[in-house]
Amino acid sequence: MMKLFIDETRCKGCNICTMVCPYSIFTPGDTPNRRGIYVPVLDRPERCTNCRLTYLYGRQLCGVCSMICPDQAISWIADEPYSARCVVIEY
Amino acid sequence: MTRDDWYRHDRLPHIYCSGCGNGSIINCVLEAVSDIGWNIDETVFISGIGCSSRAPGYIQTDSLHTTHGRAIAFATGVKLANPDLHIVIFTGDGDLGAIGGNHFIHACRRNIDLTVICINNYIYGMTGGQGSPLTPYGKKSTTTPYGACEMPFDLCNLAVAAGANYVSRWTSYHVTELTKAVTAGLLTEGFSFIEVISQCPTSYGRRNSLREVSDQILYLKNNAVLHQRWKRMQEKGEDLSSDQFVVGEFIRQSRPSMGVSR
Ligand code: SF4
Ligand code: SF4
Ligand code: SF4
Repeated sequence: MMKLFIDETRCKGCNICTMVCPYSIFTPGDTPNRRGIYVPVLDRPERCTNCRLTYLYGRQLCGVCSMICPDQAISWIADEPYSARCVVIEY
Repeated sequence: MTRDDWYRHDRLPHIYCSGCGNGSIINCVLEAVSDIGWNIDETVFISGIGCSSRAPGYIQTDSLHTTHGRAIAFATGVKLANPDLHIVIFTGDGDLGAIGGNHFIHACRRNIDLTVICINNYIYGMTGGQGSPLTPYGKKSTTTPYGACEMPFDLCNLAVAAGANYVSRWTSYHVTELTKAVTAGLLTEGFSFIEVISQCPTSYGRRNSLREVSDQILYLKNNAVLHQRWKRMQEKGEDLSSDQFVVGEFIRQSRPSMGVSR
């Protein structure tokens, strides 16, 4: 698994990422950080195509958010599978 | 190597304004060069003056930050001195269309093996938003406060007419298409020209009722007309509205070129 990561030292809060993700994982932030920047918050980032499938396919998938982020703030870091959320069974 | 390896991380975050399209365009260009698998030591980024032209300063390779409008002239020298180098030029609409206009048409004519990425934000952003030769008709800037009364250049048509081997136009919103176009341009022998329309919220957007970054992104998204569709529109006798612009690949040919290593 991979994990989405926004580098708060780089993000300038332009919210372009909130406009491009097909899953709307990025949502505009509502609290300013130490630098006064409203960094977007991640809404259930484990839905991201790249996070789920990049190891399976052996290449980067989607990746539009990281590509369009003008401040090179979005990246993925390796992460342990988060088993509690792997399968959700609804009755 | 990935795109990240090409950045000078000690220089980031860059000085561009929040929401400026230049950063996205650098991402696309670096993605393209790392996809092709070029070497950092064999690639040179050259730029003129302006916001767009600060880009090479954030990239690991050798670079030249030259005088205003003269990026192509310097690049010609570098290419002819060592044809084995891959050369990418970052320039802006003012730098290329106004100050460096003559270098541009003659580089197209000579068909030198260079790739030019022209970031068109419609104004001179760095110096405070003066009108450039690419400011669209009727749009406001600090030097055209009542709306530009001149018609702008169409740099892509100019490059096609002057003989460039590869010409396309995209926007900073169309990152995937732009990366493909840059890759095609880099791999084309001879002069490749890629115009990228970019958002400049600080100097252009706020004077033209596109106050938020998102307004300008939507403007780029909604007003881009694909080249093929524009052809169909022409057949039907329809015209573009004043805000619309054509995107896509305009030409890919193989005229004899200069400075190709053999
Ligand atoms: S696109 Fe990048 S800089 Fe802009 S808000 Fe998103 S993470 Fe921050
Ligand atoms: S890679 Fe695609 S799916 Fe994943 S967060 Fe970015 S835009 Fe959304
Ligand atoms: S002035 Fe415009 S082009 Fe220059 S950095 Fe700011 S937003 Fe970008």
